[in-house]
Amino acid sequence: MFTTTQSPIVSSPNERGLRPTRDELCQNIQLLIQLRWAAGLGILSVTAFARYALDIRLQTAALMLIGVAVLLYNSLLSLTCRGDTNARQVERAAWGQMILDWGAMAALVHFTGGITSPALIYFVIHAALAGTVLLPWQARSLSVLATAIVIGIALTEREGILPHVAIPEFEMSGTLYQNGTYITGVVFFFGTAILTLSELVTRIAQRLRQREERIRQLYDARSTFLRVATHELRAPLGAGLSLMHNIQQGYAGEFTPEQGDILDRVTRRLEGLRTLIDDLLTLAASQEVTAAHVPLEPVGVCPILDRIVEREMPNAERKNIHLTCDKSTDAGVVMAGDVGLGIILGNLLNNAIKYTPEGGRVNVKYRLNRPAQRVEITVSDSGIGIPADDMPRLFDEFFRARNTKTLQVAGTGIGLSTVRTLLDRYHGHITIESEEGKGTTVHVTLPLALR
Amino acid sequence: MTIKILIIDDDPDLVLAARMPLEQAGYEVFSAGTLEEGLAAVDTIKPNLIILDVMMDTHTAGFQLAQKLHGAGAKPEHQAIPILMVTAVHQTTPLRFSPDDDYLPVDAFIDKPIDPKTLLAQVSTLLQKT
Repeated sequence: MFTTTQSPIVSSPNERGLRPTRDELCQNIQLLIQLRWAAGLGILSVTAFARYALDIRLQTAALMLIGVAVLLYNSLLSLTCRGDTNARQVERAAWGQMILDWGAMAALVHFTGGITSPALIYFVIHAALAGTVLLPWQARSLSVLATAIVIGIALTEREGILPHVAIPEFEMSGTLYQNGTYITGVVFFFGTAILTLSELVTRIAQRLRQREERIRQLYDARSTFLRVATHELRAPLGAGLSLMHNIQQGYAGEFTPEQGDILDRVTRRLEGLRTLIDDLLTLAASQEVTAAHVPLEPVGVCPILDRIVEREMPNAERKNIHLTCDKSTDAGVVMAGDVGLGIILGNLLNNAIKYTPEGGRVNVKYRLNRPAQRVEITVSDSGIGIPADDMPRLFDEFFRARNTKTLQVAGTGIGLSTVRTLLDRYHGHITIESEEGKGTTVHVTLPLALR
Repeated sequence: MTIKILIIDDDPDLVLAARMPLEQAGYEVFSAGTLEEGLAAVDTIKPNLIILDVMMDTHTAGFQLAQKLHGAGAKPEHQAIPILMVTAVHQTTPLRFSPDDDYLPVDAFIDKPIDPKTLLAQVSTLLQKT
């Protein structure tokens, strides 16, 4: 059933590498935008500081202009990932920002001394950042381009095509920018540094992307497996138990009391197995829906509560249990998952019915607590209760209170730990009050979704 | 005239489990094992009620059949036949919780394993409605 996991790591990788998704691009663009705010303000403040506090003779006006330009195009870029921009537009913005940054950095380097500028290092940093959003060949080309820009600046200044802007404090001799050996050295180290770094970063980014893809595939395979397992494990039990019920209720003819006793025992064991399978599959399903990559969405509590109460009604009726639902009219919407919330409520209600003897009562109460901005769900029963000693371990996986065993109620001890896991994911809270022999009250609250 | 009930389910044991109490209660019971057989049987047998398994050969066959018989564009004579859908308790697959089940065009649900008493009660309630 897990054949899909045997396929290669990436289903059909583009030979040039995995493209970043829109979300990934946007995240990186946001990061660059934040860094750029700092860079723009940095240019302005460092220029002012160097010029007026340290009295270094700088091209103040030109540098200030670069700083302002950076801030200006950054505010335009910050609109990129808002709203409904599509992947194509985002990709174009990602490229656009590189070109704008390259331009700003070339100007910055030129006005701070060309090949002698300490600002050269920024190209390297930028190439590393760009590597996180670009494909390997794109990053490589950009690094070559950056090296070409630096060579271009150095040569045009050396040949006097572009005036060399010297910072006297840096260049004691004043002619370093004309020194061929110096230029070659700087260009060599600059070029190798930028190429190596961008190569490293793109490779790491690629590897992370492949891993993400692989995780996604594993989850898909797991979902398929769960769906198949759910059916394949439950179907034979369902059919077998249905036939057993027929014999027990006399539709297949008479049987002796001894045979009846055996039938009861077999049915009880099969019911136990069914509970185990249900709980294990619910646990697996809940792990799936609580996985970090599944986003929370606004979910109405009432429709799910109605569905669960309706579903559990036959179980209650079979045991002559009076099941009531007391709902306030305020509809509450919480940030959760449809399936997950169903599992939480289903488990609580199912427990209440399971651990309440024939003729008892189970009540579900739903309230919207506006001041606290939470929905409150209370499930109370007149059941067997929980021994005080067992209360601290209720949420442990596979833990079952002692009295459930003596009373022979089928169960696995997975239910409440599943509920707790799901509630943690949904920022919910659960408290349980109980007195052995009197009943149990479970109180769950969940934060309301922000409008 | 005897009341005819058509069970559409690919699991012969489940068909038997449903057939026994229904026949003893005096209904005439027919069965079909696939979606196509089921659709054909609806027209030839003209049952008074259909018992439909939620998951047959494919995981959505039951839903598809329900849509064909009761969904938009279904024949009026098909629409008139009540459908009792057999589901698995605590089904955690998206099927049960999918938004479609709010307007899944069936008249009632019964959980697996089938409890004969509950089945007979559900069937007679549904037949009284029509």
